[in-house]
Amino acid sequence: MDALTLSFAVINGLLLGGIYGGVALGLSLIFGVMRVINFAHGSFLMLAMYCSYLLWASLGVHPYVSILVTVPFLFGVGYVVQSVVISPLIRRERALVVEPTSALLLTAGVYLVVDNSVLMAFGPDVRSVTTDITYESIFVAGLPINLARLIGFAAAILVAFALSFWLKHSDMGRAIRATAQNRDAAALSGINVPLIYNVTFGLGCAVLGLFGALLVPFFSITPTIGLSFGIKSFLVVVLGGIGSIPGSILGGLLLGVFESVAAQFVTATSAAIFSFGLFIVILLMRPAGLMGRA
Amino acid sequence: MSTRILEVDGISKRFGGLQAVSPLSFHMAPGEILGLLGPNGAGKTTAFNMIAGALRTDTGAIRFNGRDIVGEKPWDICRLGIARTFQLSKPFGGLSVVENVMVGAFVRTASEMEARAEAEKVVDFLGLTAKACTDAEDLTAFDRRKLELGRALATGPRLLLMDEVVAGATPTEAQEMVALVRRVRDLGVSILIVEHVMKVIMGLSDRVIVLDYGKLIADGPPQQVVNQPDVLKAYFGERYVQVHA
Amino acid sequence: MRASFTLILGLPLLVAALILPFVVADSYVVHSAAMVLYFAYMASSWNFVCGYVGQVSLGHAAFSGIAGYASVLLFTGLGLSPWIGMILGGVLAAAISVPVGYATFRLKGPYFTLTSIAFAEIMRIWLENTDEFLGIPLKGAQGLTVPPVGGTSFLAFQFDGKLPYYFIILAMLVGVMAATHVMERSRLGFYLKAIRGNRDGAEALGIDPTRYCLTALALSAFLTGLGGAYYAQLFRYINPERNMGIDLSIDMAVMTIVGGQGTILGPTLGALVLHPVGEMVRASLGGHVLGLHLIIYGVVLMLAVLYFPKGIIAPLQRWLTPASKTTAPQTTVTVATPKEVEGR
Repeated sequence: MDALTLSFAVINGLLLGGIYGGVALGLSLIFGVMRVINFAHGSFLMLAMYCSYLLWASLGVHPYVSILVTVPFLFGVGYVVQSVVISPLIRRERALVVEPTSALLLTAGVYLVVDNSVLMAFGPDVRSVTTDITYESIFVAGLPINLARLIGFAAAILVAFALSFWLKHSDMGRAIRATAQNRDAAALSGINVPLIYNVTFGLGCAVLGLFGALLVPFFSITPTIGLSFGIKSFLVVVLGGIGSIPGSILGGLLLGVFESVAAQFVTATSAAIFSFGLFIVILLMRPAGLMGRA
Repeated sequence: MSTRILEVDGISKRFGGLQAVSPLSFHMAPGEILGLLGPNGAGKTTAFNMIAGALRTDTGAIRFNGRDIVGEKPWDICRLGIARTFQLSKPFGGLSVVENVMVGAFVRTASEMEARAEAEKVVDFLGLTAKACTDAEDLTAFDRRKLELGRALATGPRLLLMDEVVAGATPTEAQEMVALVRRVRDLGVSILIVEHVMKVIMGLSDRVIVLDYGKLIADGPPQQVVNQPDVLKAYFGERYVQVHA
Repeated sequence: MRASFTLILGLPLLVAALILPFVVADSYVVHSAAMVLYFAYMASSWNFVCGYVGQVSLGHAAFSGIAGYASVLLFTGLGLSPWIGMILGGVLAAAISVPVGYATFRLKGPYFTLTSIAFAEIMRIWLENTDEFLGIPLKGAQGLTVPPVGGTSFLAFQFDGKLPYYFIILAMLVGVMAATHVMERSRLGFYLKAIRGNRDGAEALGIDPTRYCLTALALSAFLTGLGGAYYAQLFRYINPERNMGIDLSIDMAVMTIVGGQGTILGPTLGALVLHPVGEMVRASLGGHVLGLHLIIYGVVLMLAVLYFPKGIIAPLQRWLTPASKTTAPQTTVTVATPKEVEGR
């Protein structure tokens, strides 16, 4: 394989990997604060994509403009799911009936409901959105770079930085970090822990609202797309270290580049098997993930 | 063979900026009851966990019957003949008292019948026979503690590490536990006890060692150690020593 | 006590299962009943590890698919009897489960669950897109058919009528229940309960958690594999979606949890309740509304996790074994010893 093809593959992998990392941010944030793995993570991304699609198909709204709707919408979805579905469990856990797998099963229930509701409403058909930037590319050193992907990549890096900064310096961010450290101590010092949980969950999902809309211009939409992105996110956060924001981006980049380069040698689906193999190897060597603390 | 069942040789542990245990050395003779004392935060539990294999030491060696056990996993250490109890007794839910003890007994046998027979002996030894079939989660705090001891005993240890045996117990219960620990020693088991309650350890130990800020400050027979100024200072502060000097 | 309860509830169910095909000879009913038994078997195999270790696998369908494909390929390619192919497929599934479990059981947290589902989905997608692998025809999403040998042949696992299939899966179900019972009373069963209840405490009693969780996972993968091979023979057809898809993994988990995880009869009760519900929804809506039964499963799963974490078997157990507990639980309020804030 020549250097041009390889560098093209690497760049494409970086762009896509950054987006994987961005999509996984919310999963990592929610786990870091609440110790809950949101199995329905991908389903919420899929919801955001359909929301953006509907706005485009019915009102002609450009996907990038639809962010104004998808982000608040997904924040609301996350907030409600946490406060209605998950919080009863957390209240029970406080009574020391700790079942670490319960939250995961609970969100698996959410996944079943959301994915199949969308399947019922829209059917299994593949939908896609064509916009002015779908085929737009810029050239860097003679290599074509898809503009929509570049925007997605830039957004991922930007959101990761913004999220880290906000967590560190805002009042709410501090409260979230305190709750992540020690829920009971946070509650004792006057932090409204249930509210923090709702906001954290909403925030984790709002990030998906953004990436849903950013993905729409170059990704076809089906009801099962959520699961495949969800699984990628699981791999990404475990690779990067669950709960770590930079780890999430790093894990995404690694997965994206590996997949993209491997796909030059074998079919894309076989490449996925190799990336799973890489995942197992990394898990064996660095159990806490690349950026995780052992 | 050797007169030392346990030899701790310069073990230390650092957590970030805190030297939890400075190079610490001591040893135990077979059949000895050794008390490990020290005020809160002295590094007792850290030292204890290093010996039990739950924490990795930064430096030094721990020899059990002459064999270095640093880096061994907790389950391998148990198989070698070192058992431990925890500060917080958490029985295995959904299992009865005798079944909880069987979990320990399975280390020496794969047969359910043998494990049950062994466990029944241990339950009898503890005086819990009447409650043998009770769900372990329904036990009182003190019975849980005894059960915890029983589980450890069922693994057939040569050395028993006990973390806080009488914490939260009433005086009568404490006495009962002290008698029980003595009977365990009479079975030929050496015992290392981490303890907070001075009185208990004075009556029970053959010898005590005292840690303060991760350093060994005293080693000797209980009555002798308790009057050393360093020890009094560690427990009651500088003023106390000056006033009573 | 537990065993006697299992018999009180299980024996009537077994008798009912044995006489059902003679009372209602309709082949549709027998087939539907066989499907209930199949799901009960799969859920019981899932329960074999997940119900006892407390680690949720959402990728067990992969084991079903691996063994199913192995048995079909060995039959079509080498003419090997599916009975032997079934066993070999199960062994293959168990062998593949080991590295996945080894990498994740050492870690505390949700690693196993996440890895299991990623594994199963990647396998499924690969299979759906692979027509041929190392010269072996896999035929991608289209799936493989088992060529009929004509008539009844025990060796070829092919029978006229549904009755033999029904009794085979019934025997398999009774077998997995017996295996669960034996496991519960063996060292492995005790160790799994100990690991689930208090992992640190278990380690201190000489238990290597990874080793025993792996043993249980491999056994569970083997049993699940047998079920997958059975399914392929029942339909004489296998494809990635039905034999390896996430829906199957979720079915196993939901049925077990709704029925009662970590019990011998729980998974069967779950299958007995949920599978007919799913079928009725599908039948009454004539397949026009995709996925409705999965929405119902999702809601039922959430309700079960929140309000019946012990499953529907728990109230049954209370009704059927009233006041047989001789030792009244001492509900003494015990003040936990203040945890010394040392350890630093």
